[in-house]
Amino acid sequence: MGFLDNSGDIILDAVLTDLGRERLARGDGSFKITKFAAADDEIDYGKYNKNHASGSAYFDLDILTTPVLEAFTNNIGSVKHKLMTIPRNNLLYLPVIKLANGVSGQDAGMWAGTTSPVSTNLYLVTVDNDTSMDVNDSDSEKLYQKTGVIRGDGASSGDGMGNTQIVTDQGLDTSKIPSTFTLDSDLIENQYIIEIDDRLGKIAGPLNGNGSAPSLANANFIDDDRVASYYLSKTSNSDYFGNLEPANTNDGNNNPAVCAVAGPRGTRLKFTIRASLELNTSTSLFSRLGSTYTITNHGTFYYVDSTVRITGVTTGYRLDIPIRFIKLQST
Amino acid sequence: MASTFKTFLNNDKTTTRTLLHEAIPITGTIMSGTYGLGAFGVGAESNIKNYSHGMFQSVYDYPYLSSSANHILDISVGYAAASSLSGGASQDATQRKNKINMYNQMAQVLMGHDHTGSIQRFDIDGNLADGAGKMNEVIFINFARLLNKDEIKKGSFKLDLGVASCFSGSDVSMGAQVRLNDSGSTDSYFVNSPTGEYGILHASNLVGTPIKDGPTKTTTAAGLIFYQAGIAVITGSIFLSGSELGISGSALESVTEVQMDLAGLNINNVLTASTISGACDDIRHRISNLQFNNTTELNSTIYFCRLNNNEFNYSSNPTYLSSSQIVTKVVSTDLPVSYVTTMGLYSADNELLATAKLSEPLRKDPSNELTVRVRLDY
Repeated sequence: MGFLDNSGDIILDAVLTDLGRERLARGDGSFKITKFAAADDEIDYGKYNKNHASGSAYFDLDILTTPVLEAFTNNIGSVKHKLMTIPRNNLLYLPVIKLANGVSGQDAGMWAGTTSPVSTNLYLVTVDNDTSMDVNDSDSEKLYQKTGVIRGDGASSGDGMGNTQIVTDQGLDTSKIPSTFTLDSDLIENQYIIEIDDRLGKIAGPLNGNGSAPSLANANFIDDDRVASYYLSKTSNSDYFGNLEPANTNDGNNNPAVCAVAGPRGTRLKFTIRASLELNTSTSLFSRLGSTYTITNHGTFYYVDSTVRITGVTTGYRLDIPIRFIKLQST
Repeated sequence: MASTFKTFLNNDKTTTRTLLHEAIPITGTIMSGTYGLGAFGVGAESNIKNYSHGMFQSVYDYPYLSSSANHILDISVGYAAASSLSGGASQDATQRKNKINMYNQMAQVLMGHDHTGSIQRFDIDGNLADGAGKMNEVIFINFARLLNKDEIKKGSFKLDLGVASCFSGSDVSMGAQVRLNDSGSTDSYFVNSPTGEYGILHASNLVGTPIKDGPTKTTTAAGLIFYQAGIAVITGSIFLSGSELGISGSALESVTEVQMDLAGLNINNVLTASTISGACDDIRHRISNLQFNNTTELNSTIYFCRLNNNEFNYSSNPTYLSSSQIVTKVVSTDLPVSYVTTMGLYSADNELLATAKLSEPLRKDPSNELTVRVRLDY
């Protein structure tokens, strides 16, 4: 996309998204615009210079000259960072969503094993039983038992589900406000949207402790790019939500150490991923979208890289989590 | 409660209808000459496509075998069964049946049928009730929808034809020219066609004085232009001298009739002796210029996105926070500020249906309000 001409009057470049065109073509009344959101995708607030020598009129000089791209027709790539309405002007801190991969007891650690080429700081998702059960030549541990490996093959009973799930914590990630404080209720996320490429995987429940495969969540919508959206709310999907309480003791959920955010806490979201049937039974998507690599002491694996996107419905804050679907090629 | 969406109210949405016009100039060299015309290689141009059925000829703006070529118009000719060209010695005329079929097809589409079910012939004055003024030998110019869009703008059509008697090169054949236009049709047109509105094309002198019909009359009817259909129907008699049919009964220069090809055939002889494609070749070489304005009807919905003073002042942009602190604030009493670059229009189920981008970021803080007017055209 080109940049919009910003040399004269302000102009507005408006397009229907591919999904909008599809709904319009359907002719079933599903094309109905009912609300809007404002966004600032191009803005880097790091350019806001609060110390500009010429005064406050110059603080946002660099921001205001930011060139703006033409509108994308892809509904996924547009309106990434929404502006928020909060009926108070005196907020200095806003909550974030943070991966709880370093939080003790949450089984949310990322893959840190040795591979060639090097690939860390992501979650591996096994797509079939052979991949999950592949035994490490060195420590005899099965692949799905490794930290950072989500068992995505829908394990049969008795095999176990491994030790990894995705966990995110929401809240103020600052030590300037004690974690014993309660987060304002209007900043707490009680509903999340999780988006994942439906060709590759589906969202499933969190580890349930009994070794059985978590049940699949119901996708609310799958768009024309095969991206599935899952709406999870604390009331309807309570098993996906963990307890986060103000820290006031050193035990259990109140322990300051068991949360990824340093300050007041909102909600915790937990889930796993199930590989799609196509990845489970075929290598075609691996050949088309991915490649192969080697996991030390395990063998060679096909892989496809993707991301899982978590968006807070209340604050619009987004978090992209890298995942890698893997399938055993040869030991 | 923090939120990122705002619901449109009833007065935030309106619909409009706009007519958009574009000028379409088609030079005579596109019609003949630009793409390969050596030694009067009429019909050999690479932007002219002929078909095995021979019913019409297509003109492109570039050699038609190229994927860059755009179809701009088709040309064909025909005459009515009632034409003098149809009977007598002309019974064996080349493609006689096809020419009559072409006339009838176009006439029934553009002029319709009378109360007996018979096809109405093209009428030079639009008065179908009288038996006079029928155009029996006609030239069809059908414009592609790419050019025509929804319709030709009334009063904008101009077609310049070379009517010099001699056919020996464009500089000579264009030595005398008439202009056909519909200048009177802006507020005077006909609606008795089954395909919409049409106006009368009047011929007037453009180069020289080929029309000599008395000292006061310098224009005369010479065809019809169907606005919505995007079709011009020109009487073949425009190339005849006054001693024969002339333009709707008026006189062209009467000394020598217009020679349509190197063999010196007049238009009637071309219509009987040549194929449709051959006749189209000859006619193309008489087109000096062609221009009109097209019309696109835009139906728009306008959404007024109203960002009130207390709305959209915070951002979910990752760069907006540093350790959860808003980077544009030093103390909590500083006003929050955000910058709008994008508007997203959503369905009730939160799916993005349309996006709009501002050409530059707009500052939004509690001291100002913005109304962004997003227009979607259909």
